[in-house]
Amino acid sequence: MRWSGRTRCALVCIGFVLLFSAFSFRLVYLQLVKHEEYAGLAAEKHVYKQPIHAERGTITDVNGEVLAHNVPVANVVLDTSHLNREKVVEAVALLSRDLKMDADELSEKLGSDRHYIVLKRDVPESAADALRAKLREQNLRGIYFEHDAARLYPNGPMLCHVIGFTDFDHKGIQGVEASMDEYLRGQDGYRYIEHNRAGQEIVLYRGQERASRDGYQVHLTVDLNLQNIVENEIDAAVHEYSPEKATIILMRPQTGEILAMANRPNFDLNQRNTAKPEQMKNRAVIDMMEPGSTFKIVTAAAALNEKKVRPDTTIYCENGAWNYGGRTLHDHKAYGELSVRDILVKSSNIGAAKLAISLGDQKFYEYIRRFGFGERSGVELPGEINGVIRPPQNWSKISITRIPMGHEVAVTPLQMTVAMATIANGGKLITPRIVKSITSADGQTVSDFSPSIVRQVVSPETSRQISSALRGVVSDRGTAAAASVPGFIIAGKTGTAQKVDPHGGYEKGKYIVSFIGFLPADHPEFVGLVVLDDAKTSKPELNYGGLVAGPIFSRVAEKAARYLDLAPQPDLIKPPGAERVASSRTAPRH
Amino acid sequence: MSRHSRQLNRVGAASLARWIVVTALLAVTGLCYVYLSLQLHSLGDRKKSLETELAGLRTQNDVANVQIAALTSRSALQRRLKEGYLKMIPIAEQNIVRLAPTRTSPEENAIRPVANDQVGR
Repeated sequence: MRWSGRTRCALVCIGFVLLFSAFSFRLVYLQLVKHEEYAGLAAEKHVYKQPIHAERGTITDVNGEVLAHNVPVANVVLDTSHLNREKVVEAVALLSRDLKMDADELSEKLGSDRHYIVLKRDVPESAADALRAKLREQNLRGIYFEHDAARLYPNGPMLCHVIGFTDFDHKGIQGVEASMDEYLRGQDGYRYIEHNRAGQEIVLYRGQERASRDGYQVHLTVDLNLQNIVENEIDAAVHEYSPEKATIILMRPQTGEILAMANRPNFDLNQRNTAKPEQMKNRAVIDMMEPGSTFKIVTAAAALNEKKVRPDTTIYCENGAWNYGGRTLHDHKAYGELSVRDILVKSSNIGAAKLAISLGDQKFYEYIRRFGFGERSGVELPGEINGVIRPPQNWSKISITRIPMGHEVAVTPLQMTVAMATIANGGKLITPRIVKSITSADGQTVSDFSPSIVRQVVSPETSRQISSALRGVVSDRGTAAAASVPGFIIAGKTGTAQKVDPHGGYEKGKYIVSFIGFLPADHPEFVGLVVLDDAKTSKPELNYGGLVAGPIFSRVAEKAARYLDLAPQPDLIKPPGAERVASSRTAPRH
Repeated sequence: MSRHSRQLNRVGAASLARWIVVTALLAVTGLCYVYLSLQLHSLGDRKKSLETELAGLRTQNDVANVQIAALTSRSALQRRLKEGYLKMIPIAEQNIVRLAPTRTSPEENAIRPVANDQVGR
């Protein structure tokens, strides 16, 4: 078949039309249908989402003294694909000298084919600047500096368990750093930028940008002046008695504000990598102990509040030995009739047991729980434990005689402090607080933590009665004459509990001694707790709360009262005679 | 013939001028575009260098703040006190003058005036 010229021409035209139509369709497909996908792929090649790091907020004490803040540092990173292979030896020599790193380790890293290797973190800015200049001078490529910030704690080991620390990723992992991490860490921003072939940003093509929000400032209730007093005294106590562990807490009873909190062993926050786990525990909230006789305030308060007894009601204390439930309960001294007040002053175990029996298991248990034992106090510190308070159905026959004197229960030092604060505070249980407020970088208040009353545990009348009885404890008649402070009336209670053996039973010859009290007794400004675990005294018979923890409390309270400018009563200014304190060492102790 | 040639080679002055103006305008527009683009890049680079400078100053400020905090921290001051660099004398009780009156133990339910507990702190 022969086509005419016109036909052939038409066929060629149709061919071209079809061809260009196909091209057009393809073009429309690529430009419209696949636009997003290919634009994204293209952007990935040269657009980079640059993070804008938020600065972590600072932590301060109640007076604004800085406890934790940031110092600008640089992370030295390596991209081996940019490295000049001929200059590796030169680079290793320079880096090992300036970064104080092992040359073999560096050679291995520089010899790899990875694109991102962190050579060293937290290099000070001055050192980074010096290294940067040397690298430029020697024309060494492939080594870069990333801006970062390291957390710095100006006071080193002071308040270490409360402040806590962060990991290398700036995430709080202990203390307030962890519990307030949400507020402290801020919010990172970002910026879309484009690079030229040399890797430099083309500012003209900056894309979407979101500014970072720096972390908030967290202000603690802790007063560093009081903390310093406590730290010095706890160090002195550790030096004198070499206890396994020690804790001191100061708390304002009306507001629940923790004014000072120290534990031993401790560690330096700036050298936390060298600290052992045992040193890092905040024993005030994560350690359980049998409180011993300090727990008698709960027993007496419950009995008085239930009107089972009055402060002057006398109870027969069985002349020092009482058989109950097939087991004999002893007092440290043979007492006959003792008033409820004197049961606290003399720390009679039998008297306390009889008070609890008058209440009954269930009612006594209710009061223990009402004082906040067996549940977390709610303080803003991570890892707080409940303690162990067994319900009455799990009690043995003799539990009702042992729990009133602080055995068969496990409480945290903070729970004990809160319980005493309840007595000092007219019977109101208050939530302890370590964070006072949170403010933004420009000083605006973000959150203000106001005092929170949990419940009225006992009546104000009962708390006054207990408080009055506890004044007798810190007197010549009581178990803690050595806890007295010249010029002030102190209400307090001693505690000496045999140490619980983790494998069951008690550890022979090991005691947890404590003293808890408040000052001034009639209008308390602070409650203080001193606990020493396994204090080593010159003679075993000296290892009692009134003799070991009492004097420590006295020194702390005296200095704290002076700092808080509490006016001493002139008629009480004369300190108790040294002989009297010394003679009290042979007095009944509990 | 010569008359015809003259007619063919005649240049329209108005038309030429129009084209020259249009071309010039286009050239100037192009040059302006190039100049402004370069200016934008140059300002961008300047912005970047100022940002870098500002970041550097901020860093120096932060480092200085950290040094101040470290030197005035309680631990540092205590160390200096121990070294004898600072000297402090404790204030004796008889040298303290209190502006707040001494509070006596109130009787139960007794009305007592409100005292400012923070006085002298």
